[in-house]
Amino acid sequence: MRVIALILAGGAGTRLGVLSEQRAKPAVPFAGRFRIIDFTLSNCVNSGIYGVAVLTQYLPRSLNDHIGIGRPWDLDRGHGGARLLQPYQGRGHQQWYGGTADAVLQNLDYLRESRADTVVILSGDHIYKMDYRPMLRLHEERQADLTVAVMHVAPEETSRFGIVITNDRGRVDKFLEKPKEAPSTLANMGVYVFSANVLIERLRALGAEHPDLDFGKHVIPGMVNDGNVFAYPFAGYWVDVGTVEAYWQTSMALISGQSELDLYDPKWVIHTRSEERAPVKVGPQATINQSMVCNGSIVRGQVDRSVLSPGVYVSPGAVVRESVVMNDTWIGPGAVVDRCILDKNVSVGPGTYLGWGDDYLTPNQAAPEIFHTGPTIVGKGAHIPSSRRIGRNVVIRPDVDDDEFTAFPEVVPSGSTVG
Amino acid sequence: MSVMAMILAGGEGPALSVLTAMRSEAAVPFGGKYRIIDFALSNCVNSGIYNVAILTQYQPRSLNDHIGVGRPWDLDRSTGGVRLLQPYQQSRGEPGAWQEGTADALRFNLDVIRETVEDVLILAGDHVYKMDYRPMLRFHEEQNADLTMAVRNVPSFEAYRYGMVSSDPDRRVVGYQEKPRRTASTSASMGIYVIRRELLVDWLTGEPGRDQRDFGGEVIPSFVGNKRLYAYPFQGYWADVGTVQAYWEANIALLSETPALDLYDPNWVIHTRSEERPAALVGPEARVEGNLLCDGCRIEGTVIRSIISPGVYVASGAVVRDAIVMTDTVIEPGAEVDRAILDKHVVVGANARVGCGDDNTSNRWVPERLNTGLTMVGKRAIVPPGKTLCRNVVVYPRASAKDYPEGDVVSGETIGA
Repeated sequence: MRVIALILAGGAGTRLGVLSEQRAKPAVPFAGRFRIIDFTLSNCVNSGIYGVAVLTQYLPRSLNDHIGIGRPWDLDRGHGGARLLQPYQGRGHQQWYGGTADAVLQNLDYLRESRADTVVILSGDHIYKMDYRPMLRLHEERQADLTVAVMHVAPEETSRFGIVITNDRGRVDKFLEKPKEAPSTLANMGVYVFSANVLIERLRALGAEHPDLDFGKHVIPGMVNDGNVFAYPFAGYWVDVGTVEAYWQTSMALISGQSELDLYDPKWVIHTRSEERAPVKVGPQATINQSMVCNGSIVRGQVDRSVLSPGVYVSPGAVVRESVVMNDTWIGPGAVVDRCILDKNVSVGPGTYLGWGDDYLTPNQAAPEIFHTGPTIVGKGAHIPSSRRIGRNVVIRPDVDDDEFTAFPEVVPSGSTVG
Repeated sequence: MSVMAMILAGGEGPALSVLTAMRSEAAVPFGGKYRIIDFALSNCVNSGIYNVAILTQYQPRSLNDHIGVGRPWDLDRSTGGVRLLQPYQQSRGEPGAWQEGTADALRFNLDVIRETVEDVLILAGDHVYKMDYRPMLRFHEEQNADLTMAVRNVPSFEAYRYGMVSSDPDRRVVGYQEKPRRTASTSASMGIYVIRRELLVDWLTGEPGRDQRDFGGEVIPSFVGNKRLYAYPFQGYWADVGTVQAYWEANIALLSETPALDLYDPNWVIHTRSEERPAALVGPEARVEGNLLCDGCRIEGTVIRSIISPGVYVASGAVVRDAIVMTDTVIEPGAEVDRAILDKHVVVGANARVGCGDDNTSNRWVPERLNTGLTMVGKRAIVPPGKTLCRNVVVYPRASAKDYPEGDVVSGETIGA
């Protein structure tokens, strides 16, 4: 078997709000020092797949910088290795990627040049640890055209997934994309193993009529009808941190010790690109409880149930509680950060209370469907002036400055948007 | 000006006790995630010197693994880059190919210095400091010097440990005494030299330099008065961590509010080889105060004024105080560590005590080296559950439960030698 992996990393991840406003969802930081895509990339190399292409489209800069030539994953190789595939212009053809399968269709030349006979198609949006080798073995044993990784989800969540019905041999008999009522709770995880020939043939046949060619909508249902699609059951940890709430909850679970996601397993290391930073410095008056703190951070205040990325500075007298704070953010003396997600390079002025009051229920007025569960979110590079009280479900947009706060001399009410 | 750096990293560093039992002094961990040599090496690349040779001899494995092809320092290059130089046999049957001193080590490796190199920067791999070598190299060039040595002021009671330099108002060296009992000078040589390549090669291979073994003790004194020798004053942080006490103090000094050695300066990053580890995890009942914590460590117990390296696990109910704990060491529940240095992969069993009591009896084997109350535990050693180790105790690498006597290990004892 000659295997390559294609990671779909072009999605916008709109429900992550300001976190994905300047970067693609796979590039969103997670657990302090990782990016979401690190999990999929590390799964590939830990499973012995060293030919990996990452398909990008939406705001790829951050992702390009992160992946580079693939060094952290040992994917800087002469043979195979990491490739970033952007949309491109050609003669008589100039298109953005219209859908997940369309992105693959536009890169068939890469697939052919790799001379792979088996193609693993993955999403760069999910957090999970999975050895793809048993799945590849099953695919080979069954001589399947397509093998789909599936897992059980809660009955109330079935409408968000592709739902699969199998026979007792594991063959997929039915595939329902986001059904209103589901006859089963086996959900498609977006992890596919295709036989290369079948994939190429299908995409070509369908491509002409569907410019928005999508695996779940167009490709898989047709293949299921042909009767050679198998399901591979997966029982480990898998989450889609597609919403602000899910992102915050997943982060909190990680520090509670209740998470099934073991980041400390030396046999399945999650690799990432990291800058060289000095160890975490814990000041003499500092207290840290139930938190993850990364190298390069300096803590002189109080940190409770929070995740701190590299280079965060918590001033004396400052309190960080139930929050996720990203790289190089500065929290001023006496400031309080409660239930917030702070992107990179934010500064929180002295004495400012971020996440003030217990008005968790007022949703954000500008985007009520995204921000309604409480966390206040601050975009990259925002400067928050001193001595403000900022409520819940507030969105502070990237790069806002003191000027934008003149409308809020003391209090920024819950549900506001600044900038 | 074309410069090549040669870092002398072959020394044993015997005064560092078990820390140098299985590695050279240059490879001893420092500040949680660094090795001592990272400082000299990072100084090189931060000063724009990308052609570096590292001269090894004593226990080089750890150093070889650490340096590798030099990636962390961007020294994996096609031109220049880093080279690790081992001692080698010159011709069949020729005895005594080991290097007997710094000058001897340089002599063995003169062949790696290309003709295009004008000056050689000679450095020690066992000093902790941040220094931009460029102003020194410029000074060397401006003075048209044959050799320039970096000097710093030391109090006169410390003069006996250094090569002491006297210079005229133009900074030309007029006198040099190696480790003098008494001296009027307060300028100490830091073991950092810039020397013209031609002079280095000619001297070490010709008469009378060919028979000299030690650079500071023999070569430099014979240059005084007949070569253009200059002293370049350096003011910044510099520490020779060659003794257990100095090593411990230099580490613990990093915990102060504004340490003299700033590791957080983005303009002068100290690069090191680090494994990929997730964030440091501090548990719900943990207490951490005044520490350095590295990525990958997990703290469930209490850690006060200590340096915690990557992958260290401090179980709940355990207490670590005034200690240096190296990579992947485990402190089990209820154990207590006080004023101790624990090497890598040590296991301190449940309810054991390392560093206990007020009896400060010096170590019986090495009383001159271990007498300040620090207890040392070597790499992969085990401290059995419930065992008490008092002060100035040395536990050798890989010591196991059967190496311990019945009852407490009293101050000054040595285990597993």
